[in-house]
Amino acid sequence: MAEASAANTQLLVRDLTVRFPTTRGTVQAVNGVTFDLARGASLGIVGESGSGKSVTAKTLMNLLPRTAEVAGDVIFEGEDVRRLASEGREHFWGVKMTMVFQDPMTSLNPVKKCGEQIAETLRYHLKRDRKTALAEAEDLLAQVGIPEPGKRVDQYPHELSGGLRQRVVIAMALACEPSLLIADEPTTAVDVTVQKHLLDLLDKLREDRGMSMILITHDLGVARGRCDEIAVMYAGRLVERSAPETLFSDSRHPYTDALLRSIPRIDQPSHTRLEPIPGRPPELINPPEQCAYAPRCRFARSDCLESIPDISGVAGMHEFACFHPANTDRGREALAANLAQGCTVAGLEISGAGASS
Amino acid sequence: MSEIETTGESRLEAISMDDDVVDAVKKKLGVGFWIAVGWLGLLVATVVLAPLLPFDDPDKLASGPARTGPSMDNWFGTDALGRDVFARTVYGARVSLVVGFIAIAFGMVVGGSLGMIAGYFRGRVDQVISFLFFTLLSFPGLILALLITSTFDRTLRTVSLTLGVLAVAPVGRLARAATLVFAEREFVQAARVIGAKHFRILTRELLPVVLIPMAALALLGMGVAIVAEGGLAFLQLSVEDISWGVIINDGRGIRDLQENPHVALMPIGVMFLTILALNFAGDRVREYFDVRETAF
Amino acid sequence: MKQFILRRVAQLVLVVFSVTFLTFASLNLVGDPLFNIVGVLSGIPDEQCEAVARGEIEDTQSSGLNVGDCALIAQAKEQNNLDKNVAERYGIWLSDMASGDFGTSFVNGDEISDIVKERLPVTIRLIVLAQIVALGIAIPWGVASAYRANRGFDKASTVGSFGLLSIPNFALGVILLYFFTLRWQIFPSRYENAGWWSELKALTLPAFTLGLGLAATYQRLLRTDLITTLQDDFIHMARAKGMSDRHIMYRHALRPSMFSVITVFGVNTGALIGGALVVEQIFSIPGVGTELVEAVLRNDPPVVISLISVVAIGFVLINFFVDLMYGYLDPRVRTS
Repeated sequence: MAEASAANTQLLVRDLTVRFPTTRGTVQAVNGVTFDLARGASLGIVGESGSGKSVTAKTLMNLLPRTAEVAGDVIFEGEDVRRLASEGREHFWGVKMTMVFQDPMTSLNPVKKCGEQIAETLRYHLKRDRKTALAEAEDLLAQVGIPEPGKRVDQYPHELSGGLRQRVVIAMALACEPSLLIADEPTTAVDVTVQKHLLDLLDKLREDRGMSMILITHDLGVARGRCDEIAVMYAGRLVERSAPETLFSDSRHPYTDALLRSIPRIDQPSHTRLEPIPGRPPELINPPEQCAYAPRCRFARSDCLESIPDISGVAGMHEFACFHPANTDRGREALAANLAQGCTVAGLEISGAGASS
Repeated sequence: MSEIETTGESRLEAISMDDDVVDAVKKKLGVGFWIAVGWLGLLVATVVLAPLLPFDDPDKLASGPARTGPSMDNWFGTDALGRDVFARTVYGARVSLVVGFIAIAFGMVVGGSLGMIAGYFRGRVDQVISFLFFTLLSFPGLILALLITSTFDRTLRTVSLTLGVLAVAPVGRLARAATLVFAEREFVQAARVIGAKHFRILTRELLPVVLIPMAALALLGMGVAIVAEGGLAFLQLSVEDISWGVIINDGRGIRDLQENPHVALMPIGVMFLTILALNFAGDRVREYFDVRETAF
Repeated sequence: MKQFILRRVAQLVLVVFSVTFLTFASLNLVGDPLFNIVGVLSGIPDEQCEAVARGEIEDTQSSGLNVGDCALIAQAKEQNNLDKNVAERYGIWLSDMASGDFGTSFVNGDEISDIVKERLPVTIRLIVLAQIVALGIAIPWGVASAYRANRGFDKASTVGSFGLLSIPNFALGVILLYFFTLRWQIFPSRYENAGWWSELKALTLPAFTLGLGLAATYQRLLRTDLITTLQDDFIHMARAKGMSDRHIMYRHALRPSMFSVITVFGVNTGALIGGALVVEQIFSIPGVGTELVEAVLRNDPPVVISLISVVAIGFVLINFFVDLMYGYLDPRVRTS
């Protein structure tokens, strides 16, 4: 994002790198991730499991295991988040910045009543007394659309359905009126019918409170209508970033392109074949110096195996990290050459069916 | 996008957070195990060869001056009656080890068979046997032992078998649990299909695999039995012979402790090392065969 | 939950019956019950006593009897209903026990219920104190080692708890007695009950003797469960809520991690009863254990049997209540 709008920038992430040393080698979970988030804006981070999206979120939330090696800058409202973490700052996480997790079945403490769990946050951070906190908890439950909040405060998590539990989790996260909410796959574990309600709720709460949000998901469709900007991650790197419309109509990175082909779209004729992405996500331990997507990429040429493409393009508009971007002449050339050979430089066999335009 | 599975991330977490995963990979009994086994071997050899070795008679009075500390003549010193504490510890080991061994052997044979029968046949048989185990476990062990030794006599045989009865329920429960698991496995099902008799399946197919977790428990259980015998000795209800419990009990009077603590402390040290070795060896065996799943 | 309680009550009743029957049987079915109760006196032929009753011979030394021997035998027979059959005797004995009538010692004539009333509270206080010591040590210890699992402190803890688990409690008792009472004279060498403070001082070492090994057991279990709990999402959630590690460990992780400890709590209370009897010997605590040993030494089976029954029933009841405690700890059990 341009420097001019810095005043409006709430979160600045620069060159974030996270590694986990293990006995089998170092896991390069996040590699040089850079992005900004404006106040009140919403960013979708999309990627497969192991793409580093959750690790990025956990870094922001100071939830990484102690063994993690972190480099890069994370600046939130002018404060160096990583320094706050090392200083052991209290009343920051959970107050200014908070997070909602994937599985509402397990993210509530099974032995505490729902009301108590919400009230706990208020008592812990804002030093409310027990009674006020419980009353506020009830109020929060009403705000997240839970029917009969007075009854729910006295119930244990296992007495509620998955959708209601996720609402309780959201209420808990919102208790101290945070200015940034990170939602890590908030709807993955709930019924499809409930997903939309929850996402709508998050949207509404965000607008009502002028809160910004990072929505982490593996589902491009989820991020589409609800985010001002979408960042696609692959193998610990940011590979493409743009406004949703651009991304969906004019994707550049072959991975994004492949993702879009693997999900049904309303503007496609019915019975259009969905294409699965060939191969598996790469190993993150000692990866070779090459584009991590190259082994699975239909566009891969020899330069893809020689160095890692940097993310480039118009900052704040459309950025991507690829030597042979899809929907460009360079990409089309690469694909045509690969199709002629029948396979890519990485040995991936490809055929003309479903060829890229 | 349904190809995306959620396991990748959690695997990453597992690698980075849980060193246990790594520990489980390198399976070895380890040096400690062999040291433990070495100590137990040395102990057994000493006990077996004791009559041939130049040790004093454990009951010989005034084998040295009374109440002396450890010396070249009396390695562990002498007690109030001038008896050689080292010789007494060695001969005490004989009773303690025999009690421990017989007790756990009895528990293995009786508890093991009952447990396997319960786990194999299930149904009514299982209910009856499980209730028997439950009742036995509902008795505080030492109390049951007290009851038996106070009712009957205090010979080596009675004490050993009493402690053996105590071992029945824990061993039996383990055998039952293991049998329940293994009876579902293919090799047992296969034996059933070809029409093998129950007895044959139990002894040829199931016994060898059930024995592994039981072996680990046997080592731990032997330690428990030796300690229990010591406890009985403190209550004057163990064998009328020298055992570790008896020696320690003899040397624990206030005056004895004040003037020559080695009478109690030396056998305590030997006993501690032995129990430690048994526990350690048992623990290693259990980990080595990874039998945690079968519930201890 | 109701069904669960009913099933446990049924089990409880069955176990109480089998336990009491075993103790009853050891007095009444093994050998001659009269001999079990009065010892060698039972060798006096019935005719001789009948003759005494008829006044034909004198109840004195001259006829090889002690004064009152025959009366004692008659009392023993009557009190234990030896003229009735075994089933009836068991029934009567059971209802007597239930109403707190344990009979009489035929060695020194003491009422056994008085003995129980005097000795049992001391043993109970010792056991309670031992559990307090064990939990008091195990909880912070387990939390500390699970907090940084597999690091230095945790590894040292593993060695330490392994060592503690390998010391028989009587051995530990002797060691503690030697150092703390005899060498350093921190604790009194004899039991005194001049108010709660003096008793507490007298019971401290015995409680540690019993509690240290138990603390190691609890610590191992708590550590394992805590490590599992700490992987749970609600812990991440609590961290995301910005709670301090200490708050999370004690307020969020501890309670759901106590199940294994609670499970063995009951069983261990039973082991503690046995252990307490032994440890009472070492520290000369006038509890059930010392009385039991005295009764054994003076060959007084009725006292032995009664004490054992009381202890055994106590053990069964403790296990029962521990099972019910699950409901409190895990609301999921309560409703399902």
